[in-house]
Amino acid sequence: MERKYTILTILLIVLSFGLVILPEKKDQKELNPEVLLSAISEKSRYVSADLVTERIIGNDPTLQLIDLRPAEQFKLFALPDAVNIQPESLLSATTLELLNQPAKDKVLYANSDLISEKVWLILTRNSISQVYIMKGGMNEWFNTIIKEMPVNDAASSTDLDLLSFRNAARQFFVGTGVTSRLPASAKKAENVQVIRKAPAAASGGGC
Amino acid sequence: MIGPIISSGLVSPAWDNIFAVLLGIGFGFALESSGFSSSRKIIGTFFGYDFVVVKVFFTAAIVASVGLLYLNYFGLVDFSQLYIQPTFLTSAIVGGIIMGIGFAMGGFCPGTSLCAAAVGRIDGIVFFGGMFIGVFLFSESFSLLENMFYSGSLGAIMINSVLGISPELFTFLLVLVALGMFYGAAWVQKKVKKIEY
Repeated sequence: MERKYTILTILLIVLSFGLVILPEKKDQKELNPEVLLSAISEKSRYVSADLVTERIIGNDPTLQLIDLRPAEQFKLFALPDAVNIQPESLLSATTLELLNQPAKDKVLYANSDLISEKVWLILTRNSISQVYIMKGGMNEWFNTIIKEMPVNDAASSTDLDLLSFRNAARQFFVGTGVTSRLPASAKKAENVQVIRKAPAAASGGGC
Repeated sequence: MIGPIISSGLVSPAWDNIFAVLLGIGFGFALESSGFSSSRKIIGTFFGYDFVVVKVFFTAAIVASVGLLYLNYFGLVDFSQLYIQPTFLTSAIVGGIIMGIGFAMGGFCPGTSLCAAAVGRIDGIVFFGGMFIGVFLFSESFSLLENMFYSGSLGAIMINSVLGISPELFTFLLVLVALGMFYGAAWVQKKVKKIEY
């Protein structure tokens, strides 16, 4: 073997081994307190159960659901493709790596908003972007999507559209032939238009 | 698009395409001067008489990995500014199989076929034309392939996090594997009959 290749081989092994034994870096990136204060007062961190449902049904690849409930509850029922993260393991390297995906909208939910708010604050403080809270958590999601609500005959067309969407979503999740109690005049075919968010622009690669 | 120079605001985004063209010319020049515009060189990997393509691309990967990790450690590159391609497992497997068959049949990958076409090689021009027909057919049939295309979405996941090890340890192991493969490839090459081209 030529000497230059031997030298290059040794150099690469030494450099890569150096990475393993380097002391851990301490300069963790944290958000400026003023920016954090501004973010806290913003309400744009909340997303509705309807919007989350629409994106689940649309199989939106940019959606990452984060379930913060206890593991037993997660095993019993969870939203499709959700990842169960326990708040106490939030700052572990693997969890932070999962959350630190710029191309994904991370939507947090627990049973209510309390834990989600705390986790949102910690993640935002750690400069993790695109973190949202499903308003009201699983309780709200169940009451909105799964629980059938009575319809007021005087409901507007917007309300009826929303109700049709929720009925379709209910069938999507529970798989039963639940029919809505729409007023007879409003029982017309409704097309639920699911708008799929386009994935982030892909950068070129390969040879 | 090009981070961290443009995304950090050091240079105006108006330079984006200029950088892309300059990098493309440099990449094309390097490919052509290394002989990568010859389909026989690429197909050599398949038949075991020439592993230079594997060596070049694997070397680029390990040098870039080690370099990026050092630059990040010393604060010269911000990892959060880098774009990580999201993983769609099913389409990656299907695409990989199709591309592998294309490599073995045509002796080119998209970049090298452009180089070959640019220097006037007929096989490169035919391959390049075929690539466009493939792109057209894929675009026209996208509605049929859409579910498969988006299935197996894992997000911008990194292989070291799947394995549960640090990026530094993964890179070290990758370097060892790559170097082992280089020496293994040299051994195979000695055993296989030489082909002059």
